[in-house]
Amino acid sequence: MAVRETVETVDEVGKYKYGFFTDIESEKAPKGLNEDTIRFISAKKDEPEWMLEWRLDAYRRWLTMQEPSWAKVNYPKIDFQDAYYYSAPKSDEDRPKSLDEVDPKLLETYEKLGIPLSEQKMLAGVAVDAVFDSVSVATTFKGKLKEAGVIFCPMSEAIRDYPDLVRKYLGSVVPVSDNFYATLNSAVFSDGSFVYIPKGVRCPMELSTYFRINEAQTGQFERTLIVADEGSYVSYLEGCTAPMRDENQVHAAVVELVALEGAEIKYSTVQNWYPGDENGKGGIYNFVTKRGDCRGADSKISWTQVETGSAVTWKYPSCILRGDNSVGEFYSIAISNNYQQVDSGTKMIHLGKNTSSRIISKGISAGKSSNTYRGLVSVHKKAEDARNFTQCDSLLVGDKCSAHTVPYIESKNPSAVLEHEATTSKISEDQLFYCMQRGLGEEEAVALLVNGFCRDVLQQLPMEFAVEAQKLVGISLEGSVG
Amino acid sequence: MTASIEEQYLEAFSALAPQGDPAWLLARRRMARDIFAAAGFPHRRVEAWRYTDLRRALAKEGYVPAQRYDGPLAYDVETVGPGAAAFGDVERHMLVCVNGFFRPDLSSADLPDGVSIKPLSEAVKETGFEDFLTTDDNLHPVNALNSALMQDGLVIRVEAGKDAGKPLHMVHVTTSAGASAAHMRHVIALEEDAKLCLLETHLGQGGAGYLANHVTETHLGEGAALTHIKLQDEAKDALHVAANNLRLAANAKYYGFVLALGARLSRHETDAVFKGEGAHADMHGALALRGKQLGDISTYVDHAVPGCSSNAHVKSVLDEEATGVFQGRVLVAKDAQKTDGRQLSNALLLSRDAGMNAKPELEIYADDVQCAHGSTIGELDGTALFYLRSRGIDEATARSLLIRAFLDEVLETIPLDGVKQDIGSQIDVWFRASALAGSETR
Repeated sequence: MAVRETVETVDEVGKYKYGFFTDIESEKAPKGLNEDTIRFISAKKDEPEWMLEWRLDAYRRWLTMQEPSWAKVNYPKIDFQDAYYYSAPKSDEDRPKSLDEVDPKLLETYEKLGIPLSEQKMLAGVAVDAVFDSVSVATTFKGKLKEAGVIFCPMSEAIRDYPDLVRKYLGSVVPVSDNFYATLNSAVFSDGSFVYIPKGVRCPMELSTYFRINEAQTGQFERTLIVADEGSYVSYLEGCTAPMRDENQVHAAVVELVALEGAEIKYSTVQNWYPGDENGKGGIYNFVTKRGDCRGADSKISWTQVETGSAVTWKYPSCILRGDNSVGEFYSIAISNNYQQVDSGTKMIHLGKNTSSRIISKGISAGKSSNTYRGLVSVHKKAEDARNFTQCDSLLVGDKCSAHTVPYIESKNPSAVLEHEATTSKISEDQLFYCMQRGLGEEEAVALLVNGFCRDVLQQLPMEFAVEAQKLVGISLEGSVG
Repeated sequence: MTASIEEQYLEAFSALAPQGDPAWLLARRRMARDIFAAAGFPHRRVEAWRYTDLRRALAKEGYVPAQRYDGPLAYDVETVGPGAAAFGDVERHMLVCVNGFFRPDLSSADLPDGVSIKPLSEAVKETGFEDFLTTDDNLHPVNALNSALMQDGLVIRVEAGKDAGKPLHMVHVTTSAGASAAHMRHVIALEEDAKLCLLETHLGQGGAGYLANHVTETHLGEGAALTHIKLQDEAKDALHVAANNLRLAANAKYYGFVLALGARLSRHETDAVFKGEGAHADMHGALALRGKQLGDISTYVDHAVPGCSSNAHVKSVLDEEATGVFQGRVLVAKDAQKTDGRQLSNALLLSRDAGMNAKPELEIYADDVQCAHGSTIGELDGTALFYLRSRGIDEATARSLLIRAFLDEVLETIPLDGVKQDIGSQIDVWFRASALAGSETR
């Protein structure tokens, strides 16, 4: 009956009832996108002239570009002029004063996910009060990082305080005119994280967007840049397992990772934006460009993602394996339910000698959703002894959903060894029967089996994430059987 | 300014004032011409052709419709010449086409009851023939071009319950040098429970730089079985584009195998649609290429109904600067439960400059299915080579042994022993030429 409860909760949560329609009209840039909007954003953020020029350049290029249509997703045409591109963060007065004012159903879900109270407050957008001060948590946290020499701050701050670093690396992995959404992001990006790990430093803790202050309302056009200098290591967590609410329908984030010689970056994402209701109405369109550049020899970039939210997902975290002996990894779980559409995968571009990559993708589709893996493994001429292993498995729950696999495998070097395998299956009746005759409910049994199916990926997540992600996997699929 | 390639083709269309075409065919040709005029030749920005840039490979100008040639051939295709020796030991009926036209005088087909062969130009005059031409020109500009310009082809029919017995061997020879183009349309129709084995050889005999465009419409009735084995050994500088549109009724069986050795650019595409339950299609193939050759084997399977199975296995051996392409798509429609769809591509790169592109896709709308695909690309196993060398086998032999073993896995599936051996010896001939070329450079 605990399961029943969860189902009900999720049903409720699925409806996303907590309306946050606070009137903050005056804080918004005028509707529409033109050069003035961009000047407005840049001015609001006190940006230097070069940044404004960078944005304007991106905007001018964006005007000449066309929205890509090759992905296996359908959504109504987006009117980019019918949207706001800047809204100031909510002031403390607009926020709920304490958790008492927050929708109890939401809190219940947080509890089920096992999110600590302090985090619940942040997630629910509760204004930080003096008694329980998460700023103080953040402050100790910041002190520790400072000691290690790690820079971890909002992008807007980095542009002001570390202009040389930002200018050197921003747009060097995802060029301004990389693709339609990335270019749009370059023109109007709101904020995001900037991380710099100095030479030889092992970042003393997992960096997480949870703890970055001034975080509110940066979701729409997030821009993240992580630079790991020679021999350094960092693990970065993005997003959270709790359902996220946001008024903006179109999201276009850009994430750039740079790993210099011997550096390692581990980037984990849990994405749980509003997926729309059970009839496919509403929901976030998530068009993300994520790319990592293993610029130095012996560097490593590892992407792990758990994608359960958004109505439309268009996301291909990639690795450019430029340095010799560099390693790229992509571990992904993409779950779609109801009318969600996911088109996600990765690109592994092998340029350097002895580079290796590993792709493990688990797609689970339920309800009437569509789930596509789209990936490229490309071995260039000089990538001697490159190695790739790809495994993409799809699991279908119910007979109204669909699962697709579109791999591109290109090799121009004979010494490279590339292996790709993919399977599509449904949950085995035998396994289900076995679990149920041991006393598990159907929902529980499905959650257990799906978790088993995803195990290879879940293991890659940092501990605290992994526990929540496992629960999330179960919750995301509830209502999909029976 | 010279006219674009597309315009030159369309000129050919108006020049070929169709004679005696029935009204439906004229209408079809016009529609196809318009589709082709709008789409043009496919190039790498067209998703289905991203690895096989046909537009770039075409000669810049001067494509003329291939001319009917009624003279004697330089050598007898049945017994002499490269490639011709293939299937020489197999007892078979011969059907010879030269420059895109059927040559009954060179053919020797003493067909059993219930098996009929007609040239396309005659068959189109029959009522109801249009039902056999089910290719959707909208999906494929080269097919549209074929529909607009097709002049001849073979229409092979096997009546219900009949077994054609000896294999039919279609030999396509091109003698015309220069940029000529032949667009042939074949129809293979097997009625209920009919059986046929079809062999196909494509050869250049003095021809060079030509474009051979074949569209084959294959209709298999309930329980019919077709074995279709093709050897493509076109002239070095030729372009070969073949589309095989396959429609399978319930419990029909198709076995297809293609070995591509020739042509500068070749594409063998199979589009299979399952129309009835319990049908099965094998679409296997092998590429053995060198020089600057590009070979493309593409298979698209539409599991439109439940309970069908398909299997595509392609092995590629690529030497020098050759490029191999495998594209596959298994589409499982909603409610097509109990589908079994498999695709596998294995490629061996023998040289630094060889390349392979694979794109095995799955598109699945039903849940109770078994679909799997795999792809491997690599070079000859160094330890296996070392083992053979340590046993006193010279390198060339050791390499050829390993390559043969690699290809044998898919050759073994060929259901006719004689044909299997001939395909194998074609590969040996290919390999010897490669080894010779290799020893010269060493």
